[in-house]
Amino acid sequence: MVDVAGVVDDMTTAERGVTVVVVVAVVVLLLGLFSGRLAPTYFLFLVGLAGMYALLSLGLNSQWGFGGLINFSVAAFFGIGAYGAALVTASNSPVSDGFSPVYGLAVALGLATVLALFIGLPTLRLRADYLAIASLGLAEVVRRIILNERHLTNGSLGVRGVPGFFDDWPVLSTFPEAMPGLRIDVPLGATVELGAPFYRMLLNVLLVAVFAAGSYLLLSRVHRSPWGRVLRTIRSDEDLARALGKNTFRFKLQAFVLGSLVMALAGVFYAHLQQFVGPGTLDPLTTFYVWVAVILGGSGSNRGALFGGIVIVAVREGPRFALGWLVGILESVSGALGSDGFVGRLQEFVVSLARTLEAMDAAAVRLVLVGLLIVALMRLRPEGILPPQRELIWSSAVDEAPEQPDTGVREARGDGDD
Amino acid sequence: MTDAAARDTDAVDAGDDRVVLRVENLRKEFGGLVAADDASFDVERGTITALIGPNGAGKSTVFNLVSGFYEPDAGRVEVDGVDVTGLEPYEVADHGLVRTFQTPRKLEGMTVREAMLVGPQDQPGESFLTLFTAPGDVATAEKRNLADAERLLAEFEIDHLATQPATDISGGQTKLVELARAMLAEPEILLLDEPAAGVNPTLRAELAAQIRRLNEAGTTCLLIEHDMEFVMELADPVVVLDQGSVLTQGSPEAIRGDDRVIEAYLGGGA
Repeated sequence: MVDVAGVVDDMTTAERGVTVVVVVAVVVLLLGLFSGRLAPTYFLFLVGLAGMYALLSLGLNSQWGFGGLINFSVAAFFGIGAYGAALVTASNSPVSDGFSPVYGLAVALGLATVLALFIGLPTLRLRADYLAIASLGLAEVVRRIILNERHLTNGSLGVRGVPGFFDDWPVLSTFPEAMPGLRIDVPLGATVELGAPFYRMLLNVLLVAVFAAGSYLLLSRVHRSPWGRVLRTIRSDEDLARALGKNTFRFKLQAFVLGSLVMALAGVFYAHLQQFVGPGTLDPLTTFYVWVAVILGGSGSNRGALFGGIVIVAVREGPRFALGWLVGILESVSGALGSDGFVGRLQEFVVSLARTLEAMDAAAVRLVLVGLLIVALMRLRPEGILPPQRELIWSSAVDEAPEQPDTGVREARGDGDD
Repeated sequence: MTDAAARDTDAVDAGDDRVVLRVENLRKEFGGLVAADDASFDVERGTITALIGPNGAGKSTVFNLVSGFYEPDAGRVEVDGVDVTGLEPYEVADHGLVRTFQTPRKLEGMTVREAMLVGPQDQPGESFLTLFTAPGDVATAEKRNLADAERLLAEFEIDHLATQPATDISGGQTKLVELARAMLAEPEILLLDEPAAGVNPTLRAELAAQIRRLNEAGTTCLLIEHDMEFVMELADPVVVLDQGSVLTQGSPEAIRGDDRVIEAYLGGGA
């Protein structure tokens, strides 16, 4: 048994808050599932998207959060990952003939490495601003190349017919068809059908879960290592790191490539999820959302990046439902109100509010939400919701280190032993 | 670091092994402004050498040239007989020359002892691949470095700050931490850029005592300082820079009585 009370006691206020938010979100989603408002397959799709944004945020966090590298071309690395996977595996790819998705993954990571070196090698020797400016341009350059080099990318038509990632795997390829179709009568009345699309989506979620968990474990490990410590020093004061004998260019380049690879993983997942990629995949809005996710979660914090990625999916997909629900609620409220005097005026107002909400564009609401989120964050918690923990020392060393050095060691100093 | 005994400041024509840092005819121009003009001086092993001069004399430029932050237009810098001219700062540090900064920025999100751990050179854990190929080596080195860091914090009498956030300590304490961290790099020569600037008088005395202690333990120091009391009490010899070149050098007493130095400070110039 887990000692729940003890775990709660150990948490910071922020962690408790995050836990509450996560629990509430899960309950809402489960209610949606059980009441039949939320189709299970779509629910899994949302989970997949959350994993994808978590990956993108983890990638950006290892650049901006670890080393202070300003990368405005998240969408380009995401897109090159998606195109890399799609061009190798898709049935209508102009450059290949349906290779295995594993090769697609390798090519996507290779392309992302090349792109990261292409932009990183010339700019990372310079001051921080140069990467920011160059990456701003890079995103658009990559998008334009994909749009115009039709013989390589199909241009604006995009690449369709991308298989599922596990389609040529021994057991997993037949898993969706082999599983029995289920009809479940859920407690709140609706009937839920689980067929092959559901299991296919389940495999997609499995893929992104493996990507995200692997990236998270790797990044947490390197973040608390001496390697990560040098990057964190560079973030505060690069000249100090140089004066202390650190080849800061090497550290920055490694962090940049590492982050770009994680972003490309998100792209690979996306290509297999949608089974289609087009130039729209490189929408610059992705860059913007991922920056919001990292800052929201707390720059430099891997947990924060995970959480931020999930919040962004809520912001992106939430308005679609929330608007409908709100209108429904307002309509029932106005139905309950009478039409005389003050109450009547109130009813008119509620009805007009409902009409306004109905006419609202979900895309616009998203941007408003993001804006409100940023303002609230900067006012209330500028360091982000889950800022990095205070001390990061390679864990196995700390456990056995003495709390206080004993005085005997002091005397031994000064002989010069090298 | 072992040659602590070699403290003979009169030996002008000493052999190369006595010279830790040799600066020869350094020149640096910034768009027509000559910041360093044929500057030459030696820092001998075991000394605390001070670099002084009026504002704009080129002290910081010389520091930046020597530590690799600027590339000289002409001239030569040798550390321990090895030519380091034009090398990157991290390569210069590799050759045993470590510098501190006038206004060190505080390391965000780190504790003091964490900030200390940036000091040691050639840590296995600083190689990305080693983190995965030899995690045991990383842990061993980290343990040793942490013990070294805590020992140095104790020597500098700031061990009570070890687990404090590095952003929460005072400017003077930050300078002590910086000094202690530089020692973790085990330098042949330590370049101190205005160690006493912005430090309260109590801590200033403490800093001077610590620098003297390091020196007696064998560390050669070159420092820039405006606080003349601090310089005269600590340094021997003193090198005076004026308009980018060396005006004179000698013992603190000799410098104090030198008319040219007084004139340079009072703005005679030509």
